[in-house]
Amino acid sequence: MSTARDRILAAARANKPAETPLPTVPDFWGDNSLERFRTVLASIGGEVTRLASLDDLEATVHELWPDAKLIASPLFTPTLRIDQHTPTDVLADVDLAVLPVEFGVAENGAVWLPEANMLHRALPTVTQHLAFVLDQRQLVATMHQAYARLPDGPGGYGMFVAGPSKTADIEQSLVIGAHGARSLVVLVY
Amino acid sequence: MSYLTHASRAEAFNLDHERTSWHDETLWFVRQKRDKAVYAVPEFQELRNLASAIKDHTLSRLDEYLAQFEAAAQTNGVRVHWAADAAEHNAIVLDIIRARGATRVVKSKSMLTEECHLNPYLIKEGIEVIDTDLGERIIQMRDEPPSHIVLPAIHLKKEDVGATFFKHLGTAEGLTDPQQLTEAARQHLRAKFLAGEVALTGVNFAIAETGSVVVCTNEGNADLGVSLAPVHVASMGIEKLIPRLSDLGVFTRLLARSATGQPVTTYTSHYTKPMPGREMHIIIVDNERTQQLGRPDFRASLKCIRCGACMNTCPVYRRSGGHSYDFTVPGPIGSILSPNIDLKKHSTLPFASTLCGSCTDVCPVKIDIHVQLYKWRQIVSEANHLPTAKKIGLKFMGRLLASPTAFKLSGSFGRRALRLLPYGLTHNQTVNAWAIARELPEPPQQSFREWFAQQPQPAT
Repeated sequence: MSTARDRILAAARANKPAETPLPTVPDFWGDNSLERFRTVLASIGGEVTRLASLDDLEATVHELWPDAKLIASPLFTPTLRIDQHTPTDVLADVDLAVLPVEFGVAENGAVWLPEANMLHRALPTVTQHLAFVLDQRQLVATMHQAYARLPDGPGGYGMFVAGPSKTADIEQSLVIGAHGARSLVVLVY
Repeated sequence: MSYLTHASRAEAFNLDHERTSWHDETLWFVRQKRDKAVYAVPEFQELRNLASAIKDHTLSRLDEYLAQFEAAAQTNGVRVHWAADAAEHNAIVLDIIRARGATRVVKSKSMLTEECHLNPYLIKEGIEVIDTDLGERIIQMRDEPPSHIVLPAIHLKKEDVGATFFKHLGTAEGLTDPQQLTEAARQHLRAKFLAGEVALTGVNFAIAETGSVVVCTNEGNADLGVSLAPVHVASMGIEKLIPRLSDLGVFTRLLARSATGQPVTTYTSHYTKPMPGREMHIIIVDNERTQQLGRPDFRASLKCIRCGACMNTCPVYRRSGGHSYDFTVPGPIGSILSPNIDLKKHSTLPFASTLCGSCTDVCPVKIDIHVQLYKWRQIVSEANHLPTAKKIGLKFMGRLLASPTAFKLSGSFGRRALRLLPYGLTHNQTVNAWAIARELPEPPQQSFREWFAQQPQPAT
């Protein structure tokens, strides 16, 4: 008896149309300015804050989030150490995660966060608040350039994050802070 | 066996005039947000052409891309399963859950698992399945199907949600503030996420060259579920494939703009490999899709990326509600997908359209939806699934319109009859269904043909 796999592949082979070409996608360029990124991010509930230099990061974080007790970050001495073995009940208590991102996308306010920058895969969504640290020279205009920045693929797990978690499932009223981060600030240096 | 028609279910929805108007206006507002987002991208029409061509190409080599995807995913340490139909899919999911000895499942949005009726199947087997998308959780508590593929609870008002949460989550009676209701759901679902043993997700895009699956959400529920649970099961239809990672540049620019007018979804997550010590499974499902692939007139429906733009723009969907379609995917796209599954049961859906073509205009992958609706009508008619009155009416009109003499006579008779006969007869809703919600036009004194004959003939 043939397997489901064989039957599905045979049916797809038998029923597919004549081959059509795979188009080449042009490199749609556009505005990759920080101003554009800031405006779009603000329109989706996020925020850009200038950082004079990376050396100011820790002080700026404590200044901007004075009430955050449990802060996780690979960029300075955190108040809570997180790695990929951290158990769920510890992750559940994180107030703020401060994570480096590789680049930002000006057209939609998204940033690329690969697994290597997350400490734990759940951290970017389980934390109550989220701060990303972005080198302002690492801005691309559109998603075409964004994927061109990933020649080796997206890694084991990686995400574009555009603003804080949100929902409009109750009467189309926008509510920030559905299941993931309640707020998102991109610290740009 | 006879089925309720779309029209009769739409009639029930329309009993609440106020709510029908609200539904209509709310979805039109989403359509307007879509327009604003689309017009801001100068190359949007070019992106639609590219998306359409990429999907056409993928379908034309679907077997090869499926095999490539499977091999890449297996190299990544993912277990790939194949399911010919819903029953096979559901059994595979249950086996994976049972193999872990798990009972607590968190699930993010997946229209495919709705199509397979996975939830009732698992619940019957003693598994707790929690839908974690807010809209889906609301309707799960109410034991209702989604009424829209992107906005599953769009048929509900905040008072309904308040009453549901009062009953199931113990929120204050009469609470209707969306912010507070969402917070209550957040707290309730956090506990479920933290306790989840198996996370189920759908798939927005599957990348053949990398073996990755991509899931797009605004709430972050897919990521939270998957990254906390030891096992991830992603269910995908065979049509979710795209060849290259770079093709996502096209699709991520189209999806959210077309769906809700956002520049992109909050989370665009790429799942390629499981964490060490964890499991990732992908179930590739056919469930009649290869049959649709074999229908030249209808195979383009498999290009759909489930943005819901055709629903938001459809004058019939907006005024009849998603439940009136009685199919997993409602609206125009559902009306061309459903006859492939069960022609008789869904025979009235291709008629739930004015054929205005607005669905085709907004479709980000350029599916000729209204043309396919028209073509399904022919097939429904040939299969003899038309209601008798419609069948006789169409036959009569066909003869009338084919004969110039009959057309002329009936026109002159109609104009006279409309003038002379009492309103109660010409607008009798039993014999004239057209008049149920419409006025007939004031009859003119003469026909165009009569008027034209009286005009001076142009010099030759």
